[in-house]
Amino acid sequence: MTGRLAGTVIFAAVLSFAFGLPLISGADPVSQSLMKSLQPPSADGWLGYDHLGRSMSARMAAALRLSLSIALVTLVTTALIGVALGALASWRGGWIDRALVLFADSVVALPALLIVLIAGLILPNQPLAFWAGLSATLWVEIFRLTRATIRSQIASPAVEAAQLLGFGPLYIFRTHLWPELAPVLRATLALTFAAVVMGIAALGFVSVGVRAPTPELGLMMVELLPYWREAPWALLQPVIATLATLLALTLIAGGAKA
Amino acid sequence: MTVLHAETLTVTSGQGTMVAPISLAIEPGQCVTLIGETGSGKSLFAQAILGTLSKDLSASGGLRIAGQDVALDDPQALAGLWGKVISVLPQEPWRALDPLMRARQQVAEVHALVTGQANPEAAAQADLAALDLDEAADRYPFELSGGMAQRLAIAAARAGGARIVVADEPTKGLDIARRDEVARRLKSVTRDGGALLTITHDLDLAEALGGEILVLRNGRLVERGPAAQVLRCPSESYTAELVAAQPRNWPDKPAAQAGAPVLTARGLSVARGGRRLIDGMDLSLRAGEVVGLCGPSGVGKSSLGDTLLGITAPAAGTVLRGAGLARERFQKLWQDPPAAFAPKLSLGRALKDLMSLHRIPADRLPPLLEKLRLEPALLDRRPDAVSGGELQRLSIVRALLLDPVLLFADEPTSRLDPLTQQQVMRLLTDLARTKGIAVLLVSHDPGLIAKATDRQIALSLETAPDEVASATGIGTGRRARS
Amino acid sequence: MIATLARPLGWRLAQAWMVAILVGVLSFLMMSALPGDMIFRIAAARFGYDNVTAENAELVRAQIGDPSDLSAFFDWIAGLFRGDLGRSLVTGEAVSAEIAHQLGATAQLAGIAIVLSLVIGPPLGLLAGLRPGSVLDRATVLMASVFKATPQFLLGLVLIVAVSIGMGLLPAAGHGELRHMILPGLTLALGLAANTTRITREAVVQARGSDWWRFARWKGMTEPQVVRRHGLRHVAVPVLTLIAAQFVALMEGVVVVETIFGWPGIGHALVHAVFHRDVPMVQGTALVMGLAFVLVNALADVAARLLDPREATR
Repeated sequence: MTGRLAGTVIFAAVLSFAFGLPLISGADPVSQSLMKSLQPPSADGWLGYDHLGRSMSARMAAALRLSLSIALVTLVTTALIGVALGALASWRGGWIDRALVLFADSVVALPALLIVLIAGLILPNQPLAFWAGLSATLWVEIFRLTRATIRSQIASPAVEAAQLLGFGPLYIFRTHLWPELAPVLRATLALTFAAVVMGIAALGFVSVGVRAPTPELGLMMVELLPYWREAPWALLQPVIATLATLLALTLIAGGAKA
Repeated sequence: MTVLHAETLTVTSGQGTMVAPISLAIEPGQCVTLIGETGSGKSLFAQAILGTLSKDLSASGGLRIAGQDVALDDPQALAGLWGKVISVLPQEPWRALDPLMRARQQVAEVHALVTGQANPEAAAQADLAALDLDEAADRYPFELSGGMAQRLAIAAARAGGARIVVADEPTKGLDIARRDEVARRLKSVTRDGGALLTITHDLDLAEALGGEILVLRNGRLVERGPAAQVLRCPSESYTAELVAAQPRNWPDKPAAQAGAPVLTARGLSVARGGRRLIDGMDLSLRAGEVVGLCGPSGVGKSSLGDTLLGITAPAAGTVLRGAGLARERFQKLWQDPPAAFAPKLSLGRALKDLMSLHRIPADRLPPLLEKLRLEPALLDRRPDAVSGGELQRLSIVRALLLDPVLLFADEPTSRLDPLTQQQVMRLLTDLARTKGIAVLLVSHDPGLIAKATDRQIALSLETAPDEVASATGIGTGRRARS
Repeated sequence: MIATLARPLGWRLAQAWMVAILVGVLSFLMMSALPGDMIFRIAAARFGYDNVTAENAELVRAQIGDPSDLSAFFDWIAGLFRGDLGRSLVTGEAVSAEIAHQLGATAQLAGIAIVLSLVIGPPLGLLAGLRPGSVLDRATVLMASVFKATPQFLLGLVLIVAVSIGMGLLPAAGHGELRHMILPGLTLALGLAANTTRITREAVVQARGSDWWRFARWKGMTEPQVVRRHGLRHVAVPVLTLIAAQFVALMEGVVVVETIFGWPGIGHALVHAVFHRDVPMVQGTALVMGLAFVLVNALADVAARLLDPREATR
């Protein structure tokens, strides 16, 4: 419980930095000023400046906004697809169920990052490719959980009783299925969110994700890696931001018991 | 020499005494049986001797085993006795056997690792042969019948050569035929000079075993003495109640006045998982009668009931509800009452939702609760905070709100203690008589079926259970026994 | 035995077909989306930017045909089911030959990673699960959560900076010797081990709470004897299933880790192919990764049935 609270606090802090900073600072994340190259944090630039003299605070906030926004949209998409298909498969059963399970089983055989790379070749821009590629693969986990949970609940005496007593599907979903599904989904959705953030950064890091000069966490790490001796504080910023976001989401999911 | 001697053995928790001081001694060839309901402390007593009490409980008093003092507060020392000095027969043995190991190995490993036999395989084969399990030696537990699993567990438990045998609810989940066999096997322990301590709520088993009986209630010893005396002419009223709660000792119910049929099935076939269980059955259930539905496990009793209620569709044939009777008036009672309620909804909320769904006036609930002796305060709780007996009565209330004409009661009392079982069953037969409800009752207890029902439908397996099973039901009148 | 395997293997076969069709459809979409100046880019990649002439551009065009043609796609799908993956748009070599060449390096890396993760994960999980709530258990669970939450590329970055640059111990890039394998292998292994540790621990805790574990103790066997005789076999089934399911995460890790450490396997090749929009190479790699996943899981199905005879009746 305290772990989940800590996770929520960290996540809220990351969110308010990413979306709050533009309200109080007008710094442009891409405007260069070689005079300020690798200037350490000061009163005038709280997080310092990178090798091209761009404001690190503005770049960090922009990078986080990009990752978090894509993650949020992807989350909504995967949750809708996953819960809807999971409910359909478990409710209808039969060949619909088997076909959906086969499709899901085949989709998981392909690595999510690979699908994102392919989507990047098909779609006109990179954020769209992340959304499409990750949504196309990450719904499977939610689908499987929803299906398994609803299946076991539908067969239970409690649901049988509710049907015999004359309650409709909506009431049964609300009182019997959703209370069982919600806690399971909360954990999975947090991990899905983390997977999106991680995937965007990983592809940025291997230079096939978001293209420079757009600020992105993984890309920033590669750009700043050559300067790790002169400006370790600069390299650490995207690293810490990524780790803090992922840690917060893991804590919200309830993975860590410590 | 006394094999097992417990002196003023007490179990306490942070809140107080769980088992008040009890002393007992078992000589070679003797047996002692602890009886009582759930929560009587009989299992805690056994756990104290075995050293398996949970961490928040502690045992005190004296324990001498085979002339040696054993420290009750040292689980390691007690665990050192397992197999060699004390052997334990587990409840529901088919769950206690390693599902991934063949039968012979489960016995042979004891001979190899515990007693250090030179030829463990041969010793195991001899043990199995003594229990008529030669042919099962190379099978896995899931390939054994319940009775074979029971015997295999006995062979494995006793392979270590212990003279003290502790049996914890050895008849749980068994039907009558199997129960007699278990009693016979347990008695052979004492014949061979062993000492037997049995924990059970099954008075028939206690009587079959003989020896000394201790009756426990709420952690206290109520009565003790020789089996025949305690069970035939108990001196304490609680013991007398327990004996009277045995179905065969129940008073007779009022005579049936069967009314019009509420449900009729013609040429009904029932299948489950692609297997046809019941073929071409005709039956009719009348208002006010209690009909027993019996037969071995897996014969399709529950499936038949669910088909009659319309939960599952029949494989063939028709089910006709009486003219003008809505579907909601055909209700069911489940074996495991907590499983039949939404776990996260308060009971009051669940009933309120039901009443608003069917526009039932709110003033109908309090008299029903009173009739079934349920406190209105129970409604604030969730299903897991209410006892099994109360919850089963609440599910009867839930059904009664809909003015049922048929109640399909699927082993409604098999998870309840004997006294509670008697209450619930009396309630059901009364309702059948006074409200003209037809009750279709499934039970594995022939005593209960004989006392509680007006006639029976017997389903039987015509072929072996792992092949295609088909069962024939006997319809109204033709083989009705009263 | 063979009859009981027919059903699961039939399912895996259907899964393999479905994977091939999915990859084919995605490849078609990739082909259609190739921009018009593709030919020149491919020619540039093959001959160098200074040497792009009308002639060698024509040469390239003749080789790949018109990529947005529907019949080309069907030829392609047919070829795919014949095992002909086409030719690389960049090198002109047969894709199957290129992938076969790179697969060895990847298999080496993946093998090292799996072995390392098995050396780390199950033993730790076993020790933790046997003493739930102990210091070792809580430390193990915490470490597993931390490594699970850490992205592989960051782990690789930390290892390069700390071990390679900081301490100067092991090379950050290169291929061919054991010392080149340790850092990329470890990067992949730690993430995998985090999961195997957790699953092993849960399986052990569950086994310890089971009726059969307690009964084995009651028969007179000591805890280590019960672990050896009964516990390991029960734990092996879920761990095996997990390793097979993790194969897709391993492939994903391979793409990232090979790129970071410059390891000449299919992950590295995939990133290159994406960079140069080499659709046949991307398709071939996707197909190999997907089918390898199906194959590994089919093997795991067979192994699970050998370990657990009950599986056959499910």
